[in-house]
Amino acid sequence: MNFGRKLWAHRLGRIGVIMLGVSVVLAIFAPVLAPYDPEENIRPTIDDIYAGPSSEHPLGTDDAGYDVLSLLIYGSRVSLVVGFAGAIIALFIGGLIGLVAGFRGGKLGNGLMRFTDFFLVIPDLALQIVIVAIIGQSLQNIILVIGALGWTTTARLVRAQTLSVRERKFVTRARAVGGSDFYILRRHVFPQVLPLMLANTVLTVSLAILAESTLAFIGLGDPTVVSWGQMLNFAFNRGAVSAGAWWALITPGFAIVWVVLGVTLVGNALEDIVNPRQGRHHLEPEPIPRVVPLVGAAPTSALAMRNLVVEFVGADGTRSRAVDDVTFEVDKGEALGLVGESGCGKTTTMLAALRLLPPGGEIADGSVYLHGENVLALDEDSLRETRWTRMALVFQGAMNALNPVRSVQDQIVEAIRAHADIGQAEARVRAIELLELVGIDGDRGSEYPHQFSGGMRQRAMIALALACDPEVIVADEPTTALDVMIQAQVMELLDRLRRQLGMGMVLITHDLALVAETCDRVVVMYGGIVAEQGPVTEVFAAPKHPYTKLLLEAFPDLEEPERPLISIPGSPPRLDQLPPGCRFAPRCPYAFDRCHVEKPPAYPIGDRWEAACFLLDLPVGAALG
Amino acid sequence: MRGRLLVRKVLWSVVTVMVVITFNFFLFRVLPGDPAKAGVRDPRLSPAAVEAARIRFGLDKPVFLNTEGGSLFDSQYFHYLQALSEGDLGTSYAFNNRAVTSLIGNALRNTVWLVLPAQILSIGAGVALGLWAAYRRGTKIDVGALTFSLFMWALPTFFLGILLLFFGSRYLGFPSAGRVTIGANYANAFEQFWDIARHLFLPTLTFTLVLLGEYMLVMRSSVVEVFGEDYIQTAKAKGLSVFEIIRKHAFRNAMLPIVTLIALNLGFTVSGAIQVETVFSWPGLGKLTVDAVSQRDYPVLQGAFLLLAISVIAANLVAELLYLRLDPRVTEV
Repeated sequence: MNFGRKLWAHRLGRIGVIMLGVSVVLAIFAPVLAPYDPEENIRPTIDDIYAGPSSEHPLGTDDAGYDVLSLLIYGSRVSLVVGFAGAIIALFIGGLIGLVAGFRGGKLGNGLMRFTDFFLVIPDLALQIVIVAIIGQSLQNIILVIGALGWTTTARLVRAQTLSVRERKFVTRARAVGGSDFYILRRHVFPQVLPLMLANTVLTVSLAILAESTLAFIGLGDPTVVSWGQMLNFAFNRGAVSAGAWWALITPGFAIVWVVLGVTLVGNALEDIVNPRQGRHHLEPEPIPRVVPLVGAAPTSALAMRNLVVEFVGADGTRSRAVDDVTFEVDKGEALGLVGESGCGKTTTMLAALRLLPPGGEIADGSVYLHGENVLALDEDSLRETRWTRMALVFQGAMNALNPVRSVQDQIVEAIRAHADIGQAEARVRAIELLELVGIDGDRGSEYPHQFSGGMRQRAMIALALACDPEVIVADEPTTALDVMIQAQVMELLDRLRRQLGMGMVLITHDLALVAETCDRVVVMYGGIVAEQGPVTEVFAAPKHPYTKLLLEAFPDLEEPERPLISIPGSPPRLDQLPPGCRFAPRCPYAFDRCHVEKPPAYPIGDRWEAACFLLDLPVGAALG
Repeated sequence: MRGRLLVRKVLWSVVTVMVVITFNFFLFRVLPGDPAKAGVRDPRLSPAAVEAARIRFGLDKPVFLNTEGGSLFDSQYFHYLQALSEGDLGTSYAFNNRAVTSLIGNALRNTVWLVLPAQILSIGAGVALGLWAAYRRGTKIDVGALTFSLFMWALPTFFLGILLLFFGSRYLGFPSAGRVTIGANYANAFEQFWDIARHLFLPTLTFTLVLLGEYMLVMRSSVVEVFGEDYIQTAKAKGLSVFEIIRKHAFRNAMLPIVTLIALNLGFTVSGAIQVETVFSWPGLGKLTVDAVSQRDYPVLQGAFLLLAISVIAANLVAELLYLRLDPRVTEV
């Protein structure tokens, strides 16, 4: 099975499998492997009681003169049987309740979850003790009690998973064509829930093993079988501590640890496989960027990118170039449109400018100048000073970019006070002014992001970006996920504020019409490189790069509504499979031999207008038709 | 809207407590063996004495509803409820017929002495270490924290107690059982306090270590998740220092799952208390429960179980209310 192979490939999972395997082998072959038979009647002399380890008894003897090693080997049987049998019962009950509650929902589902909640608050060991004490302490009863009380987490987990599967297409489709509930559950839902259940099983097994040993230690084990918990109970209550008989006391405990650890390692590995989590975060130490020495005069523009290269380092150490040799500038008061399909490195480029790359991202080469200062050469403190004062960002998806548990105004106040030495009250006045500036009633500043509508959140995000009077504001798809009317309002607001405050702006977008309306210049990115950049009117009137031309053709034009829209076949290259020559060559209808082997440099066309395409290197007249 | 939610949560807890009381009552009467009668099953008693005892304990009445004439509520269940409302949990079979309420009251005080310091220590250390491990994700500190948590999970609480007791009492001279040194005469209050503190040390350490592993693990994964959120990137972009980001943005958000865990964990705490008290002969609720089991002292067992269940429900309610305060987003159940 594929699952098994993945488990074996998982380093800790393999250790767990081996540990568990050893226990299983010991349990099965106990009669062969154990040097003594624990059933055997012995007549111990005083010397046999708590006799220390010897060649005869490698782990000594217990309070009745029995061989500890043999008892340990036999004890693995009870632990494993109770662990697995208890877990199967728990899984069956929990799985059934979770599936039904999740699939049926409504009153029945609610009722079942209430029932589960009830069991969740009852202290389980206390209840186990009470019930076993009442119904009698046979192995069978212990298994039943552990199983019947250990299903709550499984039920909750399965319900959550079922709920999410229930709404998926293949299930609604199966329902639409008239599949019975049972059929849909068996064929469509259950297979989706199973892997998660499997990982959970393992947790349940380890809980059951721990529960059995605890009950046995307390004196509620089955007196007719050997178990590790019981060995501990006997040793502890019959003077092993004062006799210093560590072998009788410590070995059973470590046997429990061994099995539970093995089971848990397997469980964790299974969970890693079923539900891989990256677990990387924004506060990991950033690799120190390489500072490229300045050639010539320092740029005077508000923002200047020089030959920027960004790479992502995978978990296995492989590097892929997300941004390659990107150069452009934004002047104060100038609006620049950054366009291209998704995954072309637009956002990554702008995040790199403030050294805010997501974990794994590294600036491998090039420089970023903000107001003539190389951002990559700044130390931690100056970097913090630069952020938000020289350049601020309106992040994509304002819902997640604002902290849900702090008021909107608080988050603006915080930005102001991080950079200006002013009091709380004064900063609050300024924050409310900013909210009013973007058209939000100042009284609502004390509300939380979830109380705002989508358009309001976006405007609040803009107010936040304006908090420290930045020279450049980067708006990353500021209008996606908003309806058309609100889109227009937000864009108008941004444009007005930019002119009013004399800021530079970088607008990241797919919307070429928006760029034509609001921007002075445009940078077209494809697969991490700049395909073409120049003044908007000229570039859009006569694009020189085939990609720009095709993008424009894929976009509806109000003046020529009759023109057919042509989409570009294919999709941008994967970063780990970049073509050797021009990155657009595989999709380019104009590509010729040279495009597939050589990277095109940027050819100047006019005033601050250039394109990276070999067509421009051909004799005059061969350019785009 | 949030006010209504609050009322619903409180109501739900009250309902749960009622269900637990009822469940607890029937558990001891309906299950095979009719254990409630065990107290009057002494073979030396004459049939007349048994009958008198049955009447005294109210065992002659119908269990749930009285359909044999008289008041419908003249039954064992409603008498139990009435007694309960007066704080009367019956009399112990084993402990010289002492009132269960007073037995449990004493035990509860001792348990609080054990559990409270352990909880405070482990929450404080667990939160701090979990945060540190998350911040230094993937480094040796992180791997060390994860390994520690894994071992604490696999180590049964009672076994950790035995290990600490074995080494602590043999080699470090800590007392191995009880709350005070038996027969000790104290010169002053400080000496008495010192004696109790020495007895508390090993059980508290056991408890703290077990809880610490759990809290640290949950805090770590919670913090790693929060650190990956977009608003953390926003805070970083605003120019806040790492310390400010953690203090103002990550900590509160990461604490949310911890609050739930601490509440849910009270069941786990109860099970830990039972084990630690058994190992260290600490005269608390857990040891009382175990002793009641071995002596088949059902009134005490019933009372102790009820108290344990109610305290977990109450703690859950407190946690949910706290959650409501911490997270402004919660507006429905």
